[in-house]
Amino acid sequence: MVRDRLTLAWLNLLSLAIATLAASLLPNRWLADALVLSLALAKGRVIVLDFLGLRHAPALWRGLLTSWLAGLVALAGLAVALRALV
Amino acid sequence: MSALAYEPETTERWGLLDGLPGDPMMWVLILSELVAFGLLLGAFVVARTVNPVVFAAGQAMLDGPLAALNTVVLVTSGWAAARGAAAARGASPAVARRWIALAILLGAAFIAVKLTEYGREIAAGAGLETSPFFTLYFLLTGFHLLHVVLGMVILGIVGRHSAPTSVETGTAFWHMVDLVWIVMFPILYLVG
Repeated sequence: MVRDRLTLAWLNLLSLAIATLAASLLPNRWLADALVLSLALAKGRVIVLDFLGLRHAPALWRGLLTSWLAGLVALAGLAVALRALV
Repeated sequence: MSALAYEPETTERWGLLDGLPGDPMMWVLILSELVAFGLLLGAFVVARTVNPVVFAAGQAMLDGPLAALNTVVLVTSGWAAARGAAAARGASPAVARRWIALAILLGAAFIAVKLTEYGREIAAGAGLETSPFFTLYFLLTGFHLLHVVLGMVILGIVGRHSAPTSVETGTAFWHMVDLVWIVMFPILYLVG
């Protein structure tokens, strides 16, 4: 069962990686960047929960690692928005 | 037994570090590494905002598809490492060793692809002092590459005997390296 979950997580990561590359080719830069960053958050979450095995760990650690991910993605998104506005 | 003799605790309590896979001290290292990479990536994002033209020109010289290939290589290596940890927990050390060996092999493939990429970039005129973009790019990716090498060494050590806690400890470090790449890749290569 664990092996199945890990393999599903891996296949999910591969799909998200392909989707990331496809999203980066979109002509609309805003949409492309928003999708690429959202997909990075989704991939990171799979690694945190399934590979690092924090799905059943204390919520504090899931929160810490997810906050690290979300914080960087948000900062990158904010920078893109600022550059577009200035 | 002497009163001064060392008596190992049977039920160690680590407070906030309880309930995590592997040795709790590894998580202190993982957290400090994430803080270091977070600060570097944050500095890159801020520097790009201040210097958008130079950073856009630098990013245009990078090989996105090759870096995307490395994402596939690294997440597959993470999968193999996770399977190795699951096998070690399931008391199958021989199976665990094979998965860990595959994870290390894919780590070597990541390094080979990254060095190929460096070679192309340097041949195209990029260097540490070419621009602020390339200074930060080589610093970030080089620091990450060092962690890939260190992770392979750790996996090699824990994979030797494949004791469950040791394998969980080593693979946790490996997944941290994977996690950092997942965020670093779009910020450096894709987001315009």
